Order: sequence, then C-alpha cells, then structure tokens
Amino acid sequence: MAAQWGPPAPSRPAPIQPDRSARLLVVPALVGCLVALTLGIYGRLHSPTGVAVDVIGFSNGATAKAWLATAAIVFAVVQVGSSLVMYGKVRGVSAPSWISGLHRWSGRIAFILTVPVVVHCVYALGFQTFNARVLVHSIAGCLFFGAFTVKMLALTRRGMPGWVLPVLGGLAFALLVVLWFTSAFWFFQTFGVSK
Amino acid sequence: MRIPTPVITLIVGVALAASLFFSSMTAVSAKKAALAQAAATATASPAATTSVASPTATGSAAATASASPSSSSTLGFVIPPHANYVGKVQGNAGSVAIVVHDSFAIAYYCNGSTQEAWLRGTPHNGKLSMTGKNNATLTTDYALGHARGTVTVDGIAHVFSIIAVHKPSGLYQSIATVRGATVKAGWIVLADGSQVGSLEPDSTSATPAAQTAPKLDISSLTAQDGDTTLTAKPIDAETGSGF
Repeated sequence: MAAQWGPPAPSRPAPIQPDRSARLLVVPALVGCLVALTLGIYGRLHSPTGVAVDVIGFSNGATAKAWLATAAIVFAVVQVGSSLVMYGKVRGVSAPSWISGLHRWSGRIAFILTVPVVVHCVYALGFQTFNARVLVHSIAGCLFFGAFTVKMLALTRRGMPGWVLPVLGGLAFALLVVLWFTSAFWFFQTFGVSK
Repeated sequence: MRIPTPVITLIVGVALAASLFFSSMTAVSAKKAALAQAAATATASPAATTSVASPTATGSAAATASASPSSSSTLGFVIPPHANYVGKVQGNAGSVAIVVHDSFAIAYYCNGSTQEAWLRGTPHNGKLSMTGKNNATLTTDYALGHARGTVTVDGIAHVFSIIAVHKPSGLYQSIATVRGATVKAGWIVLADGSQVGSLEPDSTSATPAAQTAPKLDISSLTAQDGDTTLTAKPIDAETGSGF
C-alpha cells in the first residue's frame, strides 16, 4: 500500500478580493452582446439594398471595403505589437513613453476604418448564410463589434483581473483577421488587386 | 462629469455609422425615386422607350419628361432601366444571367458543360419574354434587386430566383473566329465570385453544340482554349457593353 498521506495542513483560504473581480465585466459583456445581436438581427431582417453610399476614390463599394479593411488590419497589427511592448513581452525592448499613445491612436484609427465597411455590409448585403465563407464572415462581423465594445467599456473600469484586457484585445484582433480573410483576402484573390 | 476616452471612441464610431447609414438611406431612396419616375414616364409615353434605345442614351433621359401621376411601377416594385441579375437555378442545375439595358435584354443560361442558351428579348414593364436557339425560352419578372422566372433549355424547364449584382459579377461573352468556325463562349460570374461557363465551338450552326469553357481570368478578361486565347467582354447593363 502506498504511504498514508494525511490531508494537507489546513491553511487559511486566500482572501477574496472583490475589487479585482471579473464581475465588473458583466455590464460591458451585456452591452457587447446587445451590439452583436443588434447587428446580426438587423442584418437578417433588413432586406439588403445591394447599394449604399459610396466611398470616394474607389471604383465600387466592394473594392473600397477591401482596402479599408486591409488598412484596418495594418493598424490592428500595430495594436498587437504595441500592447506586447507595453506588457513587456518583447525581450530587450522597454516600453517608450509614447507607446500607450501609439496603442490608443492605432486602435482608434483601425476602428474608425471599419465603420464604413460594417455600414455597407449590414445595409447593402445583410447577414447572409449562402456558403461557409459568408456565414463565418457574418458571424465574425457581429462578434467583432461586440468584442470591441466590451474591450472599450472594460478599459473604463478599474480593478479587473489582469487577463481581461489581453483576452478581449486578442479576441477582437483574431475576429478582425477572420473577417479580413473571409472578405478582403477572398476579394483580392477572386477579382484581383485593383483600385 | 468627464467621459472616459474609450467611451468617446465608441460614441464617435456610432455617430459615424449613423451618418453613413442615413446617407445610404437617402442615396437609395433617391435612386428608387429616380427609377420610379423613369418607369412612370416610360409607361406614360411608350414612344420614349424607343428613343432611349440608342446606345448613347442613358435611362435618365426618359426622366426629363414630366411623370404621369396615374402610372407608377407595377405592384409597388421599382423597375430599373439597367440591371444585371445572376444566380443559380433551383436544383443547382446551372446558372442564369439576365442583363437589362433600356429596351434590350440579353440572357444566358449554362450548366458549365453541354447545356446552354443565349436569349434575347424586349423588356416590357418589368416583364421579359426571351427566345434563343434550340427553342430556348425565358420568362421573368424583375424589379430593383431581384428577378424570378423560368428558363427552358433543351426541353428542360428551370425555375430561378436571382439577385441584382455589380461588376465584377455578371455576364461575360467572347466571340472569336478559329480556323473558319465562330467560337462563342459565355461565362456567368456569380455574386460569390464563382463562375460557370460554356463554349460553342461552332456557334453559327442552327443547333450549336456546347462544351465546358476554359476558366475566365476576371482581371485580364482572357481565357486559354488550347492554343487560342479568348478575349471576353462584359455584357453590362450599366455601360451597355455587349449590346
């Protein structure tokens, strides 16, 4: 028989820290769900028009969207890079003083670039399911704006667990990459790179 | 009270979305109104329909005449003077493309191999009745955004309900003379970017046979058929190309 191990010596349970609680995430998460559901339900119920207001300088709406999304991806990569530096994950690089400014402004620009794209998607094309690419894109589109809303609202609350912001930021970035691959990348591959 | 900056970011995004949204609604309803007026004018004076048939005329030419208040588009649908419709027929037995340009319409049905037909017809108040070789027929009702109807090729009737598309989706055609025979190929590029095409090696024959067309390169508009390079041109409702 194996040696008899006694129960571990009783120790005081770790003190609960209500302030560093993930409960603070509940309201942002609910708002994010509301955003995602609103986009999806509207996109499904509204009968797509096929056209929306044009973005100046491009031959058509689809090309404009593909380029805006590509630009957003570039800024999103800056987002991930700058956050890695801020969290000290890049060896040998200490965070310069301007890194948080870079992080904020690249994020703002990336987000603003996605807004004309989502308006065109939801208004002109709607939430569609006619093949796997389109279904994945529709779902990821709703989830991205939900996740982004949660991230923005989470930033305003102090005392959340440390994993919250990296997880939300990573989630938003991953969803944006999925969106880009199922739309702009597909578009350039199918129809060629054009302006 | 100071608003946190991430919330400002969200507010700016929502405001931009709202303004784009409302300008889209305005743009679309303005387009619908213009089309409805053009349709009303065309119905009010049938003579105007023939005048817009010239390739240089645009659909808005008809709108310069005053619209009759009694006539509007049928059943509340808006009949566009220019439209490209493409889609698969029910049962996935091929695809169909319909291109309406003022008072002409060209349609193409093909299943990517031996069954295909080119059809022509004259639109009338949102309805089309088209005919082609081998007793092919197509009837459709169309409106802003969609078209539905039946196409009959080689004695088989296919029902379709298809959507309006913009370039690069649409209908493409290539006509070339190869060793004395007229080679005519057609491609339908669907809204999802996939394409289906058939090729008639001798299209001037009364009952042309068809085979699978080589893949059309959308960016260069060429296809390689053996040692022959086929150059395609779009049959496009907006520009009137191919009419």
